Amino acid sequence: MNIFLQRLRELAEYLGGCSVGAPAWMKRALPGWAWGVWWALLLAIVALFCGQSSKFIYIDF
Amino acid sequence: MIFNSFSYFFLFLLPAALLFRWAKPDLKPWVLVFFGAAFFVFFSVTQLAGWIAAGCLVFFLWESVLSRIYQPGSSWCWLGVGVAVLLLGIFKYWNFVTGLMMGGPATNTLHWPGQFLPLGISFFTFEFIHYAVDRYKGRAERGRFGEYLAFILFFPTMVAGPIKRYQDFEPNLRAPSTNWALDWRMGFTRIFAGLAKKFAIADLLTALTDHLNARDIPHAERWILPVWLLAYGLKIYMDFSAYSDIAIGSARLFGLKVPENFDWPYLQTNITKFWQHWHISLSKWLTDYVYIPLGGSRVAPPRIYLNLMLTMLVSGLWHGAGLNFIAWGLWHGALLAIHRAWNQRAGAKTAAPGRVRVVASWALTMACVNLGWAFFVMDLPTATLFLRRLFLG
Repeated sequence: MNIFLQRLRELAEYLGGCSVGAPAWMKRALPGWAWGVWWALLLAIVALFCGQSSKFIYIDF
Repeated sequence: MIFNSFSYFFLFLLPAALLFRWAKPDLKPWVLVFFGAAFFVFFSVTQLAGWIAAGCLVFFLWESVLSRIYQPGSSWCWLGVGVAVLLLGIFKYWNFVTGLMMGGPATNTLHWPGQFLPLGISFFTFEFIHYAVDRYKGRAERGRFGEYLAFILFFPTMVAGPIKRYQDFEPNLRAPSTNWALDWRMGFTRIFAGLAKKFAIADLLTALTDHLNARDIPHAERWILPVWLLAYGLKIYMDFSAYSDIAIGSARLFGLKVPENFDWPYLQTNITKFWQHWHISLSKWLTDYVYIPLGGSRVAPPRIYLNLMLTMLVSGLWHGAGLNFIAWGLWHGALLAIHRAWNQRAGAKTAAPGRVRVVASWALTMACVNLGWAFFVMDLPTATLFLRRLFLG
């Protein structure tokens, strides 16, 4: 796989809570404050878009 | 509207996860049983058919009692499988099957006007079947009563999976992770990422996917049709993977691990790999409890192709009671059979494919998967109309 795509995937998995450790190419793991900022950003996105909420497709399809 | 509701987080997830962490080992399964039962009743009453739907909790009690007498090689296991299939058949397919035989509700004297689906029935019946078959084959331990009840009533995965296996869940339940800091960081990250995917991407795509109906299709410009279908393909991925993220993240708050459901399916370069990376827990279930019992890949090639078609037919029917879901299943069965035949004809090649071939394979896989969504999202006449307009104008 293209190295850029591979790194993007590893970063997405780390920031999405799928993989425990930071990708090997990152110099160090994210510090606690950075996780706080990331959570705040995700929650801001949720707050911004939640008005249009709909049912999950796979429930009682 | 369960995982994206405040009641899920504040009435169930957080209190249950905290109590589970603080409870003594013997009480931990009972915390899951109590909250699982309360979850089933609460959402059945508030979002389904009221107290009648909540009464379906009795299915879990029946299963928990019947499963106690399962032994390796015992015919009681087949009774359990039969009951699970019967429950799913009655609640999910009654009107569909009687409708095929006797026509619409006006002429169908067996039509069930108030038909409803008990919460998570498609998923919990598959877990019941898994346990019965694995007990029969001696692949799963009997476990303790409370532990099995906790397994079937574990509410983060009750409604839409991932579909768990008892032999994985039981040891995890007996020795859950005690690393609160890591579990809660990863669990909440996964939940927040899932919610953001659902609200900001999946729900935003609804504006495009709402046009996949019989009213809009005849008047739409032809170039917009594939855009709507691709939007639906992205939406269903974002929607269901977001759901799985929230379920897996929720389980992590308890210190429990449940199976992954998605592993970048849209990056795969053939249909077989796609199904190994899309709704993984279902694909594995279908492989173990449908494909392999049919003979799997240990039979002659024509029979393998038939087994693939039958397995995907079951998959299609499981996804919904409708002719369109049968067509969707057969479409994927045919794709898997063609890919298998292609591989056998080409033989085992050791040389890595070139970049152009990889990109072409990926594009073909994406095209096939996304064309299949037409059958998934639209009823059969509308899907036929859509495909006719897409290809013939």
